[in-house]
Amino acid sequence: MKIVKIIALVLLVAFVGIQFVPTGRNQSDIVPKTDFMKVNEVPDQVKNKLQVSCYDCHSNNTAYPWYNKLQPVAWLLEGHIKKGKAELNFSEWDSLSNRRKKSKLKSIISQIEDDEMPLASYTLIHKDAKFNESDKKEITDWLSSLRDSL
Amino acid sequence: MRKLKVTTGILAIAIVTLTAMSCKDNKKEQTIEEGQQSEASMHDNSDGHHDQEATHDNSDGHHDGDSGEMSSAARDIDVSTQKNAATTPIIDAYIQIKNGLVADNKETAAKGAEGLLMAFSKFDMAKLTGDTHDEYMEIAESAKEHAEHIVKSPIDHQREHFETLSTDVSDLISLLGTEKTLYQDYCPMKKLSWLSETKDIKNPFYGSEMLTCGNVKKQIN
Repeated sequence: MKIVKIIALVLLVAFVGIQFVPTGRNQSDIVPKTDFMKVNEVPDQVKNKLQVSCYDCHSNNTAYPWYNKLQPVAWLLEGHIKKGKAELNFSEWDSLSNRRKKSKLKSIISQIEDDEMPLASYTLIHKDAKFNESDKKEITDWLSSLRDSL
Repeated sequence: MRKLKVTTGILAIAIVTLTAMSCKDNKKEQTIEEGQQSEASMHDNSDGHHDQEATHDNSDGHHDGDSGEMSSAARDIDVSTQKNAATTPIIDAYIQIKNGLVADNKETAAKGAEGLLMAFSKFDMAKLTGDTHDEYMEIAESAKEHAEHIVKSPIDHQREHFETLSTDVSDLISLLGTEKTLYQDYCPMKKLSWLSETKDIKNPFYGSEMLTCGNVKKQIN
């Protein structure tokens, strides 16, 4: 019994200890001029939804809830964000050629239509990030019109 | 008894934490490497496209028409396509992906996509100049991205990327030409074209579901 307690205590100390290991933060005060919202005239509704549902992993600025500052959650999140930004980074949208913008838009639309994005593991916690059918239509319709205009 | 439960609970949480931590340590190194890589490739991009980017910046939002011209929806390959053997490895790899999708074979398609990446990396673009070089770079960037996805994705996703890849390869042929005899086929359901080495219609966008749907729009060479 005593041994179990000691082990638990040691592990608890370890848990507290890892909280001091620094993690890279994906945060920036500046919205670069290449940002999707700056180079396109996005309707407020669509803008708001994209920012809430996509920007955490697909831009240079993540809104971190408290539990995401806790280790080891923060490490897992860091990996997610890195991967998300490699596929699509709204902050650097305008550095893409028109050809690639079109192809990104096509992928974004199909991911949303097929409910692959936002990720289920993400909307599980971020309830407000989930798209309902009318959100989906509104967003994909607008993205399609943007794609056609490019 | 209750105390025991609480202690084991804490113990379990702590163990999970520690395991996650030790796994993450390895992973962290990887992501750092990845980070450096993607940073490096980002620099490549901006170097390659520098001039064009500047013009795009200006035209964005204002002169949409300008850029629209270059990439209109209906892709027509010029009939008087120049004979060019340099594009053959790229086209052959594309055809392999196409045939993989026609046969509903994910592995063949993935192999073709690996071949396509190889073909682009071996392509000698030293001979390309000015606008031709810039446009080639744009097409290659886009095509490589699609190929990377085709390598690692399930077949539905492969087909999606193949759709845009078809546009890229068609544009590449309009730009640089080919010595191969090819057929540009049109799928009325997708409203998109693909390229084939045979005259028979075998539709890669749907595979066995709708194999003979489509028509030959143009013969090249």
